[in-house]
Amino acid sequence: MIQLKNLERSYKTPAGQTWVLRRINLEIREGEFITIMGPSGAGKSSLLNVLALLDDSWQGEYWFREQAVHEMKRKQRSEVAKRNIGMVFQSYHLLDDLTVGENIDLPLSYKDVPRSERQAMVADTLDRFQIVAKKALFPSQLSGGQQQLVGVARAVIHKPALLLADEPTGNLHSSQAKEIMELFHELNQQGTTIVQVTHSEANAAYGSRTIQLRDGWMLSDTSNPELRPYEAVRQ
Amino acid sequence: METLIHDVRYGLRMLRKSPAFTAVAIAALALGIASTTAIFSVVDVVLLHPLPYPDSGRIVLISQTVRSTGQDMGDSSPANYLDWAEQNHVFSHIAASRGMQGNLTGGERPERIRYTVASGDFFSLFGVGPQLGRSLLPDDEKPGNDHVTVLSYALWKRLGADPSLVGRNIALNGEPYTAIGVMPASFAPDDYGELWVPSPWDVPAHPLNPQADPRALRDSSYIDVWGRLKPGVTLDQARAEMAAIARRLEKQYPNANDDVGISLVSMQDSLVSDIRPVLWVLLGAVGCVLLIGCANVANLLLARATTRTREISIRTALGASWLRLARQMLTESILLALCGGLLGILLAWWAVPALLTMSPPEISNFKHIGLNPEVLGFSLAISLLSGILFGLAPAFHASQSNLDESLKEGERGSTGGRGRTRSALVVTEVGLSLVLLIGAGLMLKSFVRLMNVDPGFDPNHLLVFSVGLPPSASSAQQDAFYREVVERLQALPGVQSVGAVSRLPLVGGNSSRSFNLPGSTKSYTADLRVSTPGYFRTMGIPLRAGRNLTEQDAQASAQVAVVNEALARNVFPGEDAVGKYIVNFGPLNNKIQIVGIVGNVRHIGLETTPRPEVYLPFGQAHWPSVFVAVRCNTSHPLALTSAVQNVVWSVDKDVPLANLRTMQGVIASSVMRRRFTTLLLAIFSALALLLAAVGLYGVMSYTVSQRTREVGIRMALGARRSDVMKLVVGQGMALVGVGLGLGLLASIALRRVMSGLLFGVSATDPLVFSAFAVLMAIVALLANCLPARRAARVDPMVALRYE
Ligand SMILES: Nc1ncnc2c1ncn2[C@@H]1O[C@H](COP(=O)(O)OP(=O)(O)OP(=O)(O)O)[C@@H](O)[C@H]1O
Ligand SMILES: [Mg+2]
Repeated sequence: MIQLKNLERSYKTPAGQTWVLRRINLEIREGEFITIMGPSGAGKSSLLNVLALLDDSWQGEYWFREQAVHEMKRKQRSEVAKRNIGMVFQSYHLLDDLTVGENIDLPLSYKDVPRSERQAMVADTLDRFQIVAKKALFPSQLSGGQQQLVGVARAVIHKPALLLADEPTGNLHSSQAKEIMELFHELNQQGTTIVQVTHSEANAAYGSRTIQLRDGWMLSDTSNPELRPYEAVRQ
Repeated sequence: METLIHDVRYGLRMLRKSPAFTAVAIAALALGIASTTAIFSVVDVVLLHPLPYPDSGRIVLISQTVRSTGQDMGDSSPANYLDWAEQNHVFSHIAASRGMQGNLTGGERPERIRYTVASGDFFSLFGVGPQLGRSLLPDDEKPGNDHVTVLSYALWKRLGADPSLVGRNIALNGEPYTAIGVMPASFAPDDYGELWVPSPWDVPAHPLNPQADPRALRDSSYIDVWGRLKPGVTLDQARAEMAAIARRLEKQYPNANDDVGISLVSMQDSLVSDIRPVLWVLLGAVGCVLLIGCANVANLLLARATTRTREISIRTALGASWLRLARQMLTESILLALCGGLLGILLAWWAVPALLTMSPPEISNFKHIGLNPEVLGFSLAISLLSGILFGLAPAFHASQSNLDESLKEGERGSTGGRGRTRSALVVTEVGLSLVLLIGAGLMLKSFVRLMNVDPGFDPNHLLVFSVGLPPSASSAQQDAFYREVVERLQALPGVQSVGAVSRLPLVGGNSSRSFNLPGSTKSYTADLRVSTPGYFRTMGIPLRAGRNLTEQDAQASAQVAVVNEALARNVFPGEDAVGKYIVNFGPLNNKIQIVGIVGNVRHIGLETTPRPEVYLPFGQAHWPSVFVAVRCNTSHPLALTSAVQNVVWSVDKDVPLANLRTMQGVIASSVMRRRFTTLLLAIFSALALLLAAVGLYGVMSYTVSQRTREVGIRMALGARRSDVMKLVVGQGMALVGVGLGLGLLASIALRRVMSGLLFGVSATDPLVFSAFAVLMAIVALLANCLPARRAARVDPMVALRYE
């Protein structure tokens, strides 16, 4: 589904250039459930932002289903992202002034989906996530777990092929986290490719493949035991 | 006290900390306060201050009216005046005066001046003593004593400001008058006289017949009558008694006094009744500008208060009472207001003289307009008041903020915002600006309409001036003098044609007379002009039918007249007026044959519809002074000034020229009040528009900065930059839409206020309403687009960063 070749990302800081992603070579196949782990500052969020096509300032190659994303303009990238990618955030990022229903509807409103169809899809999704009763509530009236449920619902309503989640359970109790993970598992069973960032081994266990990041380098990949990044780090 | 000093110091530190904020707030306030101060300085002197005479509220102007219509005639007749003086019990003083033009000679060159013939009680009525010498006394009215004069301060200054002038003779109309006193500069009761002379008969003589005893004249009205109410007598009581006297005199003299009533108007009212609505409208306009300025500052402060919610929560958590917090914030806003106020006063100090140079005489005649202590006090007071006004909003906000919530919110970074106050302020700003814009637009359209009015003559290439012989000259001498002046001017190189007329359009002054048709008692009124044959050609007044006046008419015994179309249509509807006769017209007892019809001329003002006019030829009729119109070949008629002067002096070296101007200049000064109002409203509405745009921009910028995270989320969920633009602009324009709607409604509600000031435009003119609503919307859209573009450039990664 996705191929990253020699992808690099750096920031210009007063102290000079700081590298946050280094020579990332990564292939994500359809239907995988990948977990990215690593200490704070390792570049996990940075990698996810690149995958989500929110970030444009990287070098290297990014292939999305045989399309050369690295040759695309911002507009085309947005199109690709809008069509194929859903995003779940650690702090939910629901809009406080919109109801649950309206929050879920948001991604559809940016894809030219007819209103009647949108209503049907919102209704379906609410039903599927069993939050129909919460439809007219505002995010502040929900618990953290419920809010994240809405966050996930919003991320998948347009049936993205790829679901990205940056510490989706970071602010949740373990029981609530479990619920979300089970949801991810189910989505993955139904064919959604998932990339999640997490600190929790328990969460990682839901995935089919784990990638360790450190200082921007890919340290290990369970599906690629040959990966030898240590030499590079030491250099 | 210590806390106050502390608050002030902290406030100053906060203001210094955000110089851009402080500068914008102070500028907005300064503009509002400067406008308000400037207009108030005029209102203060013109409308709020009593006139500079003791107990001036008791001085009234008395004049005859047409009782059935209530129309004020402006003047009164001498015989009626003498009866009023004798029969009334309500006035402690009553006096008559008449403005005249005369020639002052003996100086380097003759000077045409305006003087006032006054009855004996005139000066004691106003209660102002002379600065030098004495003023007129009743004894001066005895024949033989009457060649004395009191000078105005301005004339005395012009004559050298020599105190020993008192007691010396000056030559007025070729006769010696002893100067007996000089009045102070503030004494100008009729805005006319530059010097005052007594009348030998207790009442001024008829200007067309100055040698005759006027006391029995009842059917010619030409004097101004002044009265001072006795202590304890109200204006209404005086009106009632004068009405009774009028009825008695009507019974006694049914011919002359048929339907004659008496009106009493307080002197202040009569001076300011025309300008008062203008000033109130302007004061309302600057009030709006100030309010918009305050709304801007309130918005800025509110925005800041919100960003300071955390600071406030922490302070509260540390034990500060909300009263203490509110005081702190009020101190800050009052500091801001005082800075704005001081800058505003400085601006006004510079603006008021500029304002006065373009003011119409109704304002500039008041000599003491300026930033007096009262005006300064007012400005400081409104500064303080506005400081409290816009300081209250954030102080209230601070008192309302829930400690718990704001601490939490500050942490989490809310995506929403309860900007209801802010929205209301924006709506108000937009609404008020639109009201001002529409007001200015209506005035502007009126002005354009007015300038497109055909005055009935061609004002280009015309030089005009007034000239006259002393009243001692006989009618024949006068007529000969005018003919000579016209002939010699005609011969001047660069001059196309020359005409003279008793009353020139648009310079002020009018004379009307009644007449009958032969064999009928029905009476008509027409304005009387006496003119030379060349007048119509010179002015470019077209001949519609019949013939022009000719030189032969002057000598011929058959009396002839040219009338205007209005008269022909009113008096001879459906008939040919040429060849018809009118009788009993003014001074002429014989029947007058109408020989020609000329086009209508706008005489009183460009906005007044032409009235019936009769032109008589010099020779058959006479007038003590004339306006001479000179049509030049050059487009700069003033270049001929000295040549024209020399021509007149070559005819008589003691005759001065007065009011030498171009006809375009005459038109310009005739529309001065309207231009003044239009210009000021345009300036104030532009200010309002600017301030509203700045306010809108500020609020939207703030909103955008508050919504960064939301925008980031939306973009992460697939919003395009254009979606974000639409979102922000849509929010702003929704507010603007409400403001526009309210502004339109308010403008409709205010149509009464405006309609009196308009000409040829309805106070709800749809074109003006929609054009300015669109203008306001476009400016608002621009003010919205800048913050919206900033929102669209938000980097979702940065926006979502703080987790
Ligand atoms: N805007 C920026 N400017 C400079 N450096 C940045 C910027 N954003 C991120 N970084 C740096 O990039 C590195 C990787 O950050 P990233 O957010 O990807 O880490 P992370 O692995 O997600 O850590 P955490 O587990 O704490 O979320 C960090 O060292 C961070 O300081
Ligand atoms: Mg991270």
